[in-house]
Amino acid sequence: MTALVRARGVSYRYGSGALSVSDVDLEVRPGEIVAVIGPNGAGKSTLLRLMTGRLPPSQGTVDRSAARIGPDGTATLGYGGEETAHFEPLSGFQNARFFARASGLGRRAAAAAVTEHFELLGLTEQATEPVSTYSYGNRRKLLLIEALAHRPLFIVLDEPTAGFDATSRDAAGRLLDRRRQEGAGILMVSHDLDLVMELADRITFLHRGTVVTAARPHELLAEVIGPTTRFEISLDERPTRTIGSFGPDVTIVREGDEVVLDTSRGQAALSDICTALVSAGARISRIAVREAGLAEAFRRITGEDLTDESRT
Amino acid sequence: MTLLVAELELRTALARRRLFLLNVSVPLLLVIPIALSAAPPFHAAAVYTVLFVLFGTFGSAIPLVRDAEAGLLERILLTGLHPADYLLQRSGAGTLVDALQLCPALVVAAGGMGGSPASIAGLWLTLTTSLWIANLVGVIVASVARSLAETALFSAVTALMILHASGVFRTPASGSVGATLQGVAPFRALHEGILSLSGGALAGGSTALLCWAFGLPVATALLARGLASALRAVERGR
Repeated sequence: MTALVRARGVSYRYGSGALSVSDVDLEVRPGEIVAVIGPNGAGKSTLLRLMTGRLPPSQGTVDRSAARIGPDGTATLGYGGEETAHFEPLSGFQNARFFARASGLGRRAAAAAVTEHFELLGLTEQATEPVSTYSYGNRRKLLLIEALAHRPLFIVLDEPTAGFDATSRDAAGRLLDRRRQEGAGILMVSHDLDLVMELADRITFLHRGTVVTAARPHELLAEVIGPTTRFEISLDERPTRTIGSFGPDVTIVREGDEVVLDTSRGQAALSDICTALVSAGARISRIAVREAGLAEAFRRITGEDLTDESRT
Repeated sequence: MTLLVAELELRTALARRRLFLLNVSVPLLLVIPIALSAAPPFHAAAVYTVLFVLFGTFGSAIPLVRDAEAGLLERILLTGLHPADYLLQRSGAGTLVDALQLCPALVVAAGGMGGSPASIAGLWLTLTTSLWIANLVGVIVASVARSLAETALFSAVTALMILHASGVFRTPASGSVGATLQGVAPFRALHEGILSLSGGALAGGSTALLCWAFGLPVATALLARGLASALRAVERGR
């Protein structure tokens, strides 16, 4: 299937600084959701800007020829970025209707589409209120409505559910899933890893501007982690005697002041492990349980946590 | 083509009631003391012209840079709206709002100089045309600035230089470069239009005013992609 947007060998450098994005290949096809995850400062937002054409690549190409103006004249790009700026004195409905009309919908079609999306995201009661009275979460909802109401072919979202309550987050997830089923290609950056696991067809891990892996979520977890749980046990005192068995299906990854063990038995293995350590004279100070998940997969690939990086 | 952007700008200006009232009352408060004083007509006309032109330039440039900094301009242009469409509609709506807000101040200023209702109405058309040019100058200035402070500085400097070229601050000697510049400068018509109300001079500069009023939007449309690109860079803090 032809990609809506395809980046090949794309790099970007802000001014004379280090590369913010380096040699990235990425494509988004119709009917799929591609999630980009990585720590803050990994280059995710810059990559989104490159994919929308907001930034020209320093190297490489971004082909958006399949995601231009649609056959009915509506804009095929739906963009929901990090900003929350709107026309503050106007109502949320007036704001969203403006963006829908600017994207090519007629007056009635825009009003109908906006009304539908306000209902879907539970913002109907606030629709006629000035945006200046909106909470952060409601501003983010409005931003999502403005990105989706005209039913674009290619949707780019930066943290689409940031500031959402649980109900709204689920509604947003259903809405994005519906757009995918209608054939839209969605590229999103999110720190909501549950949402990513729930929705994404493909995941790209971005680390210091570089793609470290890209795969389907479950394939990625199976490949990187397998069906394992990892225990990281910090010791105040090392064992004074030889450790007996940790029990079945427990693999020792590392020993020392911190003992790292993998098991396919899940948390049921923990009592055997603790018993073995304590029996051998060790004193346990802390136990970290790392279940198989995207954050853990990222940590195992890069050796770093999904937390802030110092670079932009 | 729809007037979507112009409609939005007008709605937004009318919804900001406090700002609207301030923009009516502040020029009025500045004009009233001069109109009630015994200021020489040449000086009074200069002050009025400076006030009206700066009002248009600042009022166009500063909100544009503010919207660019907030990322709003970027989002609007990502909808597929052509930058020329956006910038011209925005300037057109801004001109109309400015002309409405300055109307009371113009009436007081012109009334103080002995203008008749008909001459004041004619002067309002000259003012509106001058504001259209000032708004477009504001767009160009905004594209060069990288912050709100720079925008204010560049707006003031640019407007004052054009006003000086228009002969607002001193009458250039006949046959000099200044006189040639004055002949083609955009705001001479407004200045001399105000001055003529006192019966002290004939109003000139209408041809230059109209040339600018038609030429500057064409130039803005031709440069629109570059102007928009420069404005978008404000968001990235370039």
